[in-house]
Amino acid sequence: MKTPIDDNTSFLTDLGKQLLSGSLTDALVQQATEETPNFAILPWVNVVKIGGQSIMDRGRSAVYPLVEEIVTNLSQYKMILGTGAGTRARHIYSLGIDLGLPTGVLTVLGTAVAWQNAQMLHYLLAKYGIPFIEPEGFGTLPHYLMERGAVVCQGMPPYKLWEPNPATGRIPPQRTDTGCFLIAEVFGARKMIYVKDEDGLYTTDPKKSSTARFIPRIGVKELLALDLEDLIVERDVLEFMTRARNIREIQFINGLRPGQLTAALNGDPVGTIIYMDGDAR
Amino acid sequence: MSFDDSSWQHVESSLMRESLMDKNVIARSDGQVVPILPDVNIVQIGGRSIMDRGRSALLPVLEEIVANQSQHQMIIGVGAGIRSRHIFSVGLDLGLPTGALATLSAKDSAQNAYMVSCLLAKHGFVYLEAPFVVQLLPAMLAAARGAVFNGIPPYALWEHPPLVGKLPPHGSDAGSYLIAEVFGARSVTYIKDVDGIYTTDPKIDPAAEFIPEIHVQKLIDRKLPTLPIEPAALELLTRAKLMRNFRVINGLTPGNLSRALAGKSVGTLVRQ
Repeated sequence: MKTPIDDNTSFLTDLGKQLLSGSLTDALVQQATEETPNFAILPWVNVVKIGGQSIMDRGRSAVYPLVEEIVTNLSQYKMILGTGAGTRARHIYSLGIDLGLPTGVLTVLGTAVAWQNAQMLHYLLAKYGIPFIEPEGFGTLPHYLMERGAVVCQGMPPYKLWEPNPATGRIPPQRTDTGCFLIAEVFGARKMIYVKDEDGLYTTDPKKSSTARFIPRIGVKELLALDLEDLIVERDVLEFMTRARNIREIQFINGLRPGQLTAALNGDPVGTIIYMDGDAR
Repeated sequence: MSFDDSSWQHVESSLMRESLMDKNVIARSDGQVVPILPDVNIVQIGGRSIMDRGRSALLPVLEEIVANQSQHQMIIGVGAGIRSRHIFSVGLDLGLPTGALATLSAKDSAQNAYMVSCLLAKHGFVYLEAPFVVQLLPAMLAAARGAVFNGIPPYALWEHPPLVGKLPPHGSDAGSYLIAEVFGARSVTYIKDVDGIYTTDPKIDPAAEFIPEIHVQKLIDRKLPTLPIEPAALELLTRAKLMRNFRVINGLTPGNLSRALAGKSVGTLVRQ
C-alpha cells in the first residue's frame, strides 16, 4: 500500500528506504544498521553501581566511607550512582517463588528493594544537592550531572512485569548489574564501575572456597567460555557486553577498601577488569 | 580492616547470603507458577500490517473484537509501524543508540494503541499505560470490559543491545507475549496481514510454503529469512512456564480472530 511517506523517499538515506520497504526481521536490514555511526550521549559520565548485599546491607561501616569517597570525587568526576537490591530481595524472591509467582512479578518486587537502597543512598547524599531520579525522569539527568556532578537511581532496569523468564529457575535474570550496564551503554559512558565486597573476580566464590584464584583482567568471551559455576556479575551483562557498541570494559572493585573507587575513576587497573576481547569494531 | 560478617545485616531466607549468579542457586528457584489472569486473551494488532492500512483493515478487526467481547475477555496490544521505521532511519543516521531508538519507537505504538482505545471506548475498553498495567489491570478488567495497551515493552533506554546492528529487538510482539506469560493468559493471537508463517515471504515468493503448526525450537532452527513476528518473541516462547503457544493469523480475513479465540485451527500455531 502507498503511504504519504513513500512519496517522500527522497528525504531518506538508503538505509531509510530499506527500513520503510523491508521487514525489520530481515537479516540484511539488520546487517545494514550495523554499519551506522555511534554517537555517545554522555561521554564523560561514570556509571557506578553500589552493591546491595555487598555494600548497602552492611550499613554504616561500609556505606559511610564510600559516600565520603563519592563526595570527594564530585568535583572531578560526574557519576550516575545505581544501587543493587540485596538481602531483602532474596527474602522476597524466596517468598514469591514459594507462592508460585512468575518472574515478572518477582521483578516488580525486587525493583522495590533496589529503590529502597537508592533512597537511603540519596538521603546520605542529599545535602550535597544530589537528586534521586526515576527511570521516567532520566530526561533531567544531563542537567543534574552538569550542576551537581552526580545522580542516584535504582539499578534495576524498568522491565517490571515485562522481565523475560530466565533459561532456568525463576529469579529475574536481568537485575541491577544489567540495569546499570545498559545505562552506561546507552549513554556511551566513560566508565562502568561495580562496587562490591570482593577484590574482584575469582575462579570460585572466595567467601566459600580457600583455593579461589584471583583474576585481575580477563576477556569477556574467555570468561563466558570458562562457564564458571558462580560469577561476580549477572551473566546477561557479559552477554550484552559482547554485543555492546560503546562499553569496551567494566571494572569490579572492593568498596570496603578506601581509595579503590578513586583509583578506578582515575583509570587505574584496581580490582578486576573484564574487557571485550577479539574486538573487531 | 575486617571484612567479616559482623557488619552484615541479613534477613533470613532460603536465598540468604547466596550468590544469585550461582548456577545451583538458580536451578533451585524453579517450581510451580500460578496463573494470575488465566481467562484473559491477549490480542495483538500489528502496526505495519494492520494499523498503517487505516480503516479498511482496522475497523473490521475491531468489529470482530467487539463481537467476541461477551464471550472472551481480551486485552489488546498494539504495534508501531511505518512511523517507527522512519524514526529509526533518522535516529540511526544521527548515530543514536538502541536504547534511544527503543524509547522513540514506543511512542509510535502508544499513539496506535491510543487510537484503538478511542475506537473501542464506547464498548468499555480502557487504555492502560505500563504503570497502570502493573498496578491496575485486574481491577480494570473487573470494572471495564477490556483494555488496550502499548505492545512495545517499557524497556526504553534499557533495551537490550541486539545480536546484530542497532534495531531494538523487543517490539510489540515480544511485549504482548511477555504480558501473556506473566499473567498466565489463556491465549496470544497476533493479527497480521499474512495467513501465518511461510517458508519465505509470500508477498515476494509465489513458491512460499505455508506452515500451519510448528514447534518453536524447530522454527528457530530453520532460520527463515523473514518472519511475520519478531524473533525475540520466539526466544521468549522457548522459556515459557505458562503461555506455551501463540497464533499468527491474517486480520484481513473476516472470522479468523473468532476462530482463533474459539481455539480452532487457523493461521499458524507456534508451540513450545
